[in-house]
Amino acid sequence: MSSIRVNPYPLPDLLSALANTQQQQNTSSLDLATGTRINKPSDDPAGAAQMVTNTAQSSQADTFLRSITSVTGLLQTADSTLNSVVTALQRAISLGVQGANGTLSDSDRADVASELTGIKQQLLSLANTPYQGEFIFSGTSTAQPFVADATSSSGIKYNGNAGTNNVEVGQNYSLQVNQAGSQLFTSASGNVFQSVSDLINALQTNSNIGSAVSEVSDAYDHITGQRVFYGNALNQLQAQQNFLNSEKVDLATAADSISATDMAATSTAFTQSQVATQADLAVMSRISQTSLFDYLK
Amino acid sequence: MSSLLSTMFLATGAMAADQGALEATTNNAANVNTPGYSREVPILQENPPVVVGNLTFGTGVSLAKLESVRDPILQLRIQQETGQQGQLNSFTSALSQAQTLFTAGASDIGSEISNLFSSISQLSTNPSSTALRQGVLTAASNLTSTFNNTASNLAAQRSNLDLNVVQSVQQVNTLTQQIAGLNGQITSLQNLGQEAGTFIDQRDVLINQLSGLIDVSEIKSDSGITLTTANGTALVSGTQSFSLTTQPGATGVQHIFSQGTDITSTLSSGTLGGLIEVRDQKIPALLTSLDTLASGLATAFNSANTAGFDLNGNAGGVLFTPVVGAGSAANIGVAITDPALIAASSDGSAGSNGNLANLNAIQNQTIIAGATPTTYYGNIVFSVGNDVSNGTAELQSSKLVLQQLQDQRGSISGVSLDEEAANMTQYQQAYDAAAHIVTTVNQMLETVINMGTLP
Repeated sequence: MSSIRVNPYPLPDLLSALANTQQQQNTSSLDLATGTRINKPSDDPAGAAQMVTNTAQSSQADTFLRSITSVTGLLQTADSTLNSVVTALQRAISLGVQGANGTLSDSDRADVASELTGIKQQLLSLANTPYQGEFIFSGTSTAQPFVADATSSSGIKYNGNAGTNNVEVGQNYSLQVNQAGSQLFTSASGNVFQSVSDLINALQTNSNIGSAVSEVSDAYDHITGQRVFYGNALNQLQAQQNFLNSEKVDLATAADSISATDMAATSTAFTQSQVATQADLAVMSRISQTSLFDYLK
Repeated sequence: MSSLLSTMFLATGAMAADQGALEATTNNAANVNTPGYSREVPILQENPPVVVGNLTFGTGVSLAKLESVRDPILQLRIQQETGQQGQLNSFTSALSQAQTLFTAGASDIGSEISNLFSSISQLSTNPSSTALRQGVLTAASNLTSTFNNTASNLAAQRSNLDLNVVQSVQQVNTLTQQIAGLNGQITSLQNLGQEAGTFIDQRDVLINQLSGLIDVSEIKSDSGITLTTANGTALVSGTQSFSLTTQPGATGVQHIFSQGTDITSTLSSGTLGGLIEVRDQKIPALLTSLDTLASGLATAFNSANTAGFDLNGNAGGVLFTPVVGAGSAANIGVAITDPALIAASSDGSAGSNGNLANLNAIQNQTIIAGATPTTYYGNIVFSVGNDVSNGTAELQSSKLVLQQLQDQRGSISGVSLDEEAANMTQYQQAYDAAAHIVTTVNQMLETVINMGTLP
């Protein structure tokens, strides 16, 4: 008996090999079904930790994009409101120029003045425009910004505040999203309500109509100047939206390279483990069926 | 002197020896599937010769003993590796349960943190909207309940492990009693000069099971064997077994005592080693990390919220119930129910969102142990994943090692039916031959007897 003795029990080895190949098969099929190879942190601890950061960043980008959508709505409303204000002021100026014509009778001027009163009402309503239930020209106050006030020379007073809000639309990038109504409508360099009031008075009294018209013209210039703010902000939002969309693509690509299943490799591994399982089963079915006892008859 | 009768005795002696050897073969074949069985080999011995004049006659064969074939050193290696495997097995299976709490999904702590900051960003686009304020409160309470659930799940897993520890200690006690009993039987058989192979096989099986539960060192002595844990606590000494007991310790978990001494922290191998490592180190460490994260977030949010003004223009209060230190994650809660109390405003006016920027900035501040909340949480995920992944890899290699050792044991002690069939034939033929000799000698004796009765 000098030959090397071999382990006469190969079955435990085969069973454990079978368990291994079946484990591989399960893992591959789970990876294929879920599309990710990190189904629990232990599948790739470093990758799982990276995915936490990646997911947070991509959720942040989504949030910025949603903020941009809401802010864009606000800014567009403000911009188109100011556009209407500009149109109304243009009409006021042409009415004033018409009223300055010396050939007009008192009653003609009274008609012009009454149309201007209508324009003033329209301007008031424009200055009180809300967006999603909140006034857009009230600063950071929630009160109605422009209200009738008999003590004021223009008959209208500003009831909001001078505050402005910034909204974060990117990492360390926040954008001012409103201008106070006082800066737009009752500024020293062009007061919308005062100038239109003055023009109405001038027409009614037939005095200083020319200087009242130039006052309205100043207000027109002022509003036109202020509108640039909204145009710029909308442009910036558009650019930021493009940036965030491409950042999301980058983040998704990074997430893929961290955790996505390599379909080709995993399918191959799956097939290989299937073949291995079948081979194990075939061996197990043939092994140990006979011993020398069967031949000693 | 050689006579026909002595030749006859020699042949019948050989028949007896062959029959005994055949019994060993039969026993081996019968135990081919018995776990832990070591094959027996018959030790045949030449009888002392007789010298007659200048001739030396052999006097046949006798069966000296049936010896079990085993390698004690290999047995020790198998025990060590079984202990290692028991430790890794309970370690990875316990931590695998814990890691499911940190699996990325719709409702893990990481995504709830993101959701909270996202809701704050939303609010900043319309700071006086009650719906958006409610969104922030909902996100905050989702975050706190995820903290609470994760912490209480970990605590529940810890008390399950505690139960497992008590059960494993009971198994250890049963095994040590059985081993002590076998020690007695083996010693008394050996004192009578008899082979105790069967009992030794049984004892090896039991010691192996014991190694899977607790760390075991084996010392052989005249009175059987002595088993101790790695640091020298006696488990079995000869026929005496020492029971372990469990008592609740200061930290609310069961501690293991041997004759009044707390040996909990000294156990490092076997199921108990793994259970204790997860129960007393890994899960408490995870809870501490969660506490740090929860109290760090609560503190930062509270101080940011108190710096601003709420919807009514009042100075902001705390957002999270102020919990600091141990138990933060288990107990953190949202302090307010009125959405108006979120301090979005920086100047007291209801439409201002100035303070939300301060709340939002928390996500990029390194407020928790030098890391941002998300990075810190990512580190927790890494550490639990890494522990499970390392444990699994070590378990795989330990399984391979154990398998090789078992193969090796099988090649030494395992029963091969081919071999037994060959042995059977061999002993049968020897028996046949001896029986033939008896017949022949018998005929010769007849011839001798008939010599006296010539026709």
